[in-house]
Amino acid sequence: MAAVCSAALAAAAVVLATEPRGTSSPGPAPVPPRAALPDPVAPVFRVRTPRPLDDSIRVYHSAPVLRRVEARTAPEPVAPPVAALEQLTPERTTNIVLAVGRARDARGRLWVRVRLPVLPNGSTGWVPRSALGGYVEVRTRLVVNRARLTATLLRDGRPIFHARVGVGVPASPTPSGDFYVRNKLTNFDNPFYGPVAFGTSGRSPVLTDWPGGGFIGIHGTNHPELLPGRVSHGCIRLRNEDILDLARLMTVGTPVTIV
Amino acid sequence: MSGDADPAPRVDDGLTLEELDADGALLEAIDSVYGDSRADLLRKAAFGGAALLGVLARPPDATGAPKKDTAVLKFDLVFEYLQSSFYLGAVRVGTVQRMAPEKARWAHVLGAHELAHVAILRKVLGRDAVKKPFFNFRGVTESESAFTRTAVAMEDLTVAMLAGQAPKFENRALVSAVFSLLTTEARHAAWARRIAGFTPVANAFDEPKTLAEVDRVVRATRFIASRPRTRGRGKPRYSG
Repeated sequence: MAAVCSAALAAAAVVLATEPRGTSSPGPAPVPPRAALPDPVAPVFRVRTPRPLDDSIRVYHSAPVLRRVEARTAPEPVAPPVAALEQLTPERTTNIVLAVGRARDARGRLWVRVRLPVLPNGSTGWVPRSALGGYVEVRTRLVVNRARLTATLLRDGRPIFHARVGVGVPASPTPSGDFYVRNKLTNFDNPFYGPVAFGTSGRSPVLTDWPGGGFIGIHGTNHPELLPGRVSHGCIRLRNEDILDLARLMTVGTPVTIV
Repeated sequence: MSGDADPAPRVDDGLTLEELDADGALLEAIDSVYGDSRADLLRKAAFGGAALLGVLARPPDATGAPKKDTAVLKFDLVFEYLQSSFYLGAVRVGTVQRMAPEKARWAHVLGAHELAHVAILRKVLGRDAVKKPFFNFRGVTESESAFTRTAVAMEDLTVAMLAGQAPKFENRALVSAVFSLLTTEARHAAWARRIAGFTPVANAFDEPKTLAEVDRVVRATRFIASRPRTRGRGKPRYSG
């Protein structure tokens, strides 16, 4: 297309240049000498060739809970409630939920199906989109294998972190299922949890009266000699150097699968 | 997973972002993100950063004009963040994948362009580049119709903003570069209008907008939100 236009412009220029002068018809307006025309100002920056958006990347979305809201069994305001979602976690951080589906109700309002931090583990519910804030995107997923006592962090499906871990003793086992990282605590000055502790949406099915609700954490330890092993109340324990490495790679909102 | 019956804002050839939401709550959100109102942002904008010093050939003068250039570029960068996140968000939640091929290509191309604009403005501003705000598109990127119509409004607004600001830069080389962005954004706007079924060129004359006008429109969308506070220093209460 550009070549066609250029050719047309060139042809027009030839016609103008070869038109006989001195005829009675008025000619084109005189063109000022080239030297009198200022050169265009060179732009101070140029935009590089854009890179295509990659829509093949698997992205997980979490969103903050903006107000207390009932999660329901279906995307309808009259559907039975499953659980109430609060704005804050027991650690006073913003409560977030992992989005796993979307639908519209009969009036066209958008609802989001979210993973719930409640018992029984694995519960999901529907909340109005308007009750949630903006999406936070993550590309990582943590897989904890209780039989092998390992934790593996994947990004775009490829492992980027691997460590041996401690899981729950038989009397208070680490629950299996699909969860997500809800918050990240640091500088809490409690060697039992090591330097960094992640909270997940998973809960101990046994320690239901634990302060804070018995949420399953992923944290360091002051007893590294016990790892790997079945040593905890349900939390996933890592050596402190491992939890620090993990903390550099894993963000809040990351899905966690415990098998 | 999702139908498209969402009650999107009324749209016509004169669509503006103001029609999406008019309660103006974005001011607080901007303040919480930057700790500055727009006016403060402009007043406090610091001239600095090796990259920008290289860009602005003319040294700061008594009128502080280069400071103003910097502040306007910062504002442009926030706007480009908004646009690129808008298109990329629609791709990430699957809205664009469900579009017809030609429409999906439009969204992909505009998204890629806006990301390239972010990259160049960040490079030009160097250490003065503002951090990307946190966005809440309130379901607009999850509805094909709402997404498309909002894209039209956003592209039209970008053209009006750049038309209003480009002539004001003190540095002529910067004027030239911003005009190159403006012509690209004008093509974006025409493409978006065609995709949405509107007249590609709505008027014979595009009215420029002031930064204050653009700021007011952006605030009205409430697309810029407070970032969730998911990190804490409290004692863990996990089961251990």
